[in-house]
Amino acid sequence: MAVQQANDGAAAPATGTGRIEVTLSVNGRTYHGTCEPRRTLADFLRHDCGLTGTHLGCEHGVCGACTVMLDGRTVRSCLMLAVQAQDAQITTVEGLAGDGELSPLQESFHDHHGLQCGFCTPGMLLTADELLREIPDPTDEQIRDRMSGNLCRCTGYQFIVDSVRDAARRRGS
Amino acid sequence: MKPATFAYHQPGSVGEAIALLRADDEAKLIAGGQSLMPLLNMRLAQPTALVDLNAVDGLDGVRMDDGHLVVGALTRQRTLELDPQATANLPVLARVMRHIGHVTIRNRGTVGGSIAHADPSAELPLVVVALDAEVVAEGPGGRRTIAARDFYEGFLTTTLAPDEILVEIRLPTALGGAAVGFEELSRRSGDFALVSALALVQRDGDGRVAQARLAIGGANPVPLRIAAAEQLLTGATQDDALVAQAADAAAEAVQPLDDVHGPAEYRRDLTRVVARRALARAIAGGEEEAA
Amino acid sequence: MTAIEHETPGLVGARLRRIEDPRLLAGRGTYMDDLALPRMLEAAVLRSPYAHARIRSIDATAARDLPGVFDVLTGTDLEGLVDPQPVIYQLLPDQRATNALAMATDRVRWVGQAVAAVVATDRYVAEDALALIEVDYEPLPVVADLQSALADDAPRLYDGWSDNTIGGMGYGCGDVDAAFAEADVVVSKHMRTGRMAGMPLEPRGCIATWDAYTDELEIWLSTQSPNLARDLLGDTLRIPIHKVRVRVPDVGGGFGVKFDFYGEEIIAAVLSKRTGRPVKLLEDRLESFTATGQSRELEMDIELAAKADGTILGLRADIATVLGGALGTVGIGPGWLAMTMLTGPYRIPNVDVKLTGVLTNRAPMGSFRGWGQPEGCFGYERMIELVARELGLDRSEVRRRNFPAPEDFPYTTGVVFTYDSGRYADCLDLCLDAVRERGWADQQAAARQEGRSLGIGYGFHVEATAFGPSRILNLVGLQHSGFDEAVVRMDTTGRVTAFTGQIEMGQGVETAMAQIVAQTMGVPIEDVTVVSGDTMTCPYTGYGTGASRGAAMGGGSLMLAAGKLRAKALRIAAHLLEAAPDDLEVTDGRIHVKGVPSQTVSFADVGDAAYRRLNERLPDGEDPTLEERHVLDPENLAWSYGCTAALVEVDRETGFSHVHDYIVAHDCGTLVNPAIVDGQIHGGAAQGIAEALYEELVYDDEGQLTTGTFMDYCIPTFSEVPPFTMRHQETPSPHMPGGMKGMGEAGTIGAPAAIANAIDDALADLGVTVTTLPVTPSRLHALIQTAQEA
Repeated sequence: MAVQQANDGAAAPATGTGRIEVTLSVNGRTYHGTCEPRRTLADFLRHDCGLTGTHLGCEHGVCGACTVMLDGRTVRSCLMLAVQAQDAQITTVEGLAGDGELSPLQESFHDHHGLQCGFCTPGMLLTADELLREIPDPTDEQIRDRMSGNLCRCTGYQFIVDSVRDAARRRGS
Repeated sequence: MKPATFAYHQPGSVGEAIALLRADDEAKLIAGGQSLMPLLNMRLAQPTALVDLNAVDGLDGVRMDDGHLVVGALTRQRTLELDPQATANLPVLARVMRHIGHVTIRNRGTVGGSIAHADPSAELPLVVVALDAEVVAEGPGGRRTIAARDFYEGFLTTTLAPDEILVEIRLPTALGGAAVGFEELSRRSGDFALVSALALVQRDGDGRVAQARLAIGGANPVPLRIAAAEQLLTGATQDDALVAQAADAAAEAVQPLDDVHGPAEYRRDLTRVVARRALARAIAGGEEEAA
Repeated sequence: MTAIEHETPGLVGARLRRIEDPRLLAGRGTYMDDLALPRMLEAAVLRSPYAHARIRSIDATAARDLPGVFDVLTGTDLEGLVDPQPVIYQLLPDQRATNALAMATDRVRWVGQAVAAVVATDRYVAEDALALIEVDYEPLPVVADLQSALADDAPRLYDGWSDNTIGGMGYGCGDVDAAFAEADVVVSKHMRTGRMAGMPLEPRGCIATWDAYTDELEIWLSTQSPNLARDLLGDTLRIPIHKVRVRVPDVGGGFGVKFDFYGEEIIAAVLSKRTGRPVKLLEDRLESFTATGQSRELEMDIELAAKADGTILGLRADIATVLGGALGTVGIGPGWLAMTMLTGPYRIPNVDVKLTGVLTNRAPMGSFRGWGQPEGCFGYERMIELVARELGLDRSEVRRRNFPAPEDFPYTTGVVFTYDSGRYADCLDLCLDAVRERGWADQQAAARQEGRSLGIGYGFHVEATAFGPSRILNLVGLQHSGFDEAVVRMDTTGRVTAFTGQIEMGQGVETAMAQIVAQTMGVPIEDVTVVSGDTMTCPYTGYGTGASRGAAMGGGSLMLAAGKLRAKALRIAAHLLEAAPDDLEVTDGRIHVKGVPSQTVSFADVGDAAYRRLNERLPDGEDPTLEERHVLDPENLAWSYGCTAALVEVDRETGFSHVHDYIVAHDCGTLVNPAIVDGQIHGGAAQGIAEALYEELVYDDEGQLTTGTFMDYCIPTFSEVPPFTMRHQETPSPHMPGGMKGMGEAGTIGAPAAIANAIDDALADLGVTVTTLPVTPSRLHALIQTAQEA
């Protein structure tokens, strides 16, 4: 595997046709690796960093399953190149729970049956996390509007709306 | 769905980027990548090289300058949408930009990228045409300013030269208190518009229309100002029949195509509906002040 | 009902949080593409850009020469090596066979048909190599749709065939002509349901490892039906299956499409054998549109005859199923079920229904949740409302008038099936009550005042579940079985492991099975582990997870196996307690003498006596160990049913429809976990709403798919899918363990009819009648314009 935990090596200039060095931070841990320029951030996270919680559902930016947090904002990791995430701070679904403890948002999904197959769930969680940071007490309409860039094929969305609403309550209390 | 190989360049200045474009006819610019990356993943675009603008200094940011809101091309759409100067001086922007994809797309997508991509269904091209904005391009010979209405040439085509880069957008904020009506029809939340209409109506002290603007997106190869409609309404008071006539003018002006969402005539009918609704709302005082 | 005492009251029927959730929420699931085996290569498939063409030649030289490429496989490499892709439903008399190999050899018959495959170091390189393969195609005339396929001068998809059909059949009862002659009203319509697909968010995929030294084939497969896949791998690869092992990782949604058996499984296996490496082959999203089974598309002429009071006298229907360029795994199965379910929940004494399967140059049809039943329901539930409209009667009264009464069950429909139990009128009332509670009529009236068009529509459906009785299915034409085997084991510490052939793909198999086993055994649910997803270690399921059979068949067989195990545990406990087994009871996870709580042993004591310290503790005549097995092959299907109500607003100027509110009243017998049931019905309803309004695989005149991305194929989002209100009633199945029926497909079935009926209702003053799905804005706009001009 091309990735190892970085020590202090500065990355080579990000240019050229061959493999390019990439250093980025995921869930607080620094990863350093080399890849072709064409490697998507999603593939780098999944296959080079071993963080397979980020899923690929369409690879053209519609389904939202690959959503990660990049420097504090959600992005589609299938619509970025790994080389473009140089020095970025990334949070993936693996970074939401700590030491076997689910976060309040994850707990809400668990309580309200907010997932079935779980494939869209990582993207849902990160999108909901951003939503709740920006709108701490959203209405159902706001939840539906803000989450509508993430497709779920299993749940029919109702229980995800319930989960996010309840997560807002938990965060507020 | 993995991209074909390409070389990757990350210039630090616009000049460097231009030089890279000039050195390779098959190179492509990438900024937010929200339109280009799907094409790369599908191998529908196979550039020899990507020239990534994301590290270019001074290409992003929002500022006021001489009655214009000046937006750097690399400014993220979400940043502009939330920018205090933008929301204070040109609230129509945030109103319309909420319809661009989803927040996650706008977090990464850039203002310049959307305008230069020239998708006639996209919101920002509609806005710049409706507002008579200017785009500033930089090429080997320096910068030039292009009126938005002269910028769009055809479907996904602009008047930018292959070695020119869109660097900023200048949006006039002096809209004289124009009221806004915006209508967009899309199959799903966040989808590109089947048809959209942006109306800006400024009224004088007597309540007559001092100036009306109507732009249509999605139903034409380029976002289209409907001059006939604008003329019809100038000097008018609130008049449903006249609004209907103006909407008819919009429906006549557009040149829609058959596509998977329906025949061309359907889109023409939708144009009439959204034009009428947007104009009626603007004439009735609008959703909110544009400026 | 088979009597099973529930030893832990409350577990079955409880809204438990799912056992599956925490790891999935933490991003620790292991889906197909998350797996990587040592030495693994990755493959990609070259697909036909033509809907119909002859393959003159394939030149893969440049692809083979690309660094990183290990092998290139073409269709001719498979000739003589493998059998054609299996078709497990042989329903029609003299059904024609299309005999398609996993890859095309000399001719392609749909866009997306596999033509060659590359295996390389990774997917990027494999796709690079695909671009280097040169295929010389000679385009042939395209049979783009049903009408052109049936034309006298239509090009033939298969040389030597007299037409493009695979055959036909019909069923009937009574005297239909007489019924129509005496009817006061006859309503006739031509209806069409659009083509769509299950489209799980995780595309299909597999990793095949064929060890040339041991001849073992291990395949990780994202499938709903591991035992079926194993048998079909054996059939197709012409190998005995004792060395074939199918393993299933986390499945990111199935919805039927992962029930079917695809050519990629064969391609990956052959490539693995040829390269000596594990080969991963995933379809990407674009491929999924044409490489994975499509569904639903059919056209039907349907006629309903009724008396003036609404009593239905007769039904006639002629269905043409629009198949693709070859038969998929389930052949014409869904069309057959659409036909045989056309009587729906109604007593129809005179029936004449027919079915024809027609090939076109479109992708093959396969399974998708609902499997013909949404199409059938669209037929019968549209027609019942049209009869009511024609007669000026209340539509609910017309439904009620024609329901079989609870005492009429078992009710034989006259077309193949016998419904086991039902209280249809109660279920309709349950739905109507919810509609009243939510104030739809007031909303509708208020909207009319404002000039908005709000409509209310209903769809009452009956669903075939707990699929099913093997011998009957075989008799009908299924070349496979429908039973479920289950094994339950208690270990030395009194903990329980339940083995099932069912597959978890989102529907909470692990949780529901654990609830059933824990309750039956009388142990805490934490003491139950459910194991599935491996043909080597798990029991045989005839059909897999699909056809709304998971809880009823998988759960039912586990319930009976657990009952046997509990009996053995009690015999051992009785020996330890020096009591009679009948005098024992289980409470709070311990076994004690009835009424004497102090005389007690734990299940751990029983486990110890059965496995470790046997002497004087294990009764004479008892075998050591604690393990029981049960095979459930039921006498009949179990028939769930429900009533869907939709509140839909139509914008008359644009043709856009929006579902504002949505209610499902449902009866699937005993509820195992109401949260899971609700979630299943919500999800199915969203897919049904998609079928009604949003999703369509649109083919053009050249047989090209024009909605082949998530940009154009409109899976509805949070903003399009309405809030859901659920109501349940529980009428146990008389013949299934625990009275459980299935419900996994329920949500899909009633939705299209309910929404179409609501749209008609919203436009009642115009007399618009929706007959084509999906009701896209442009289609509805055209209907409205025509009505307004009339």
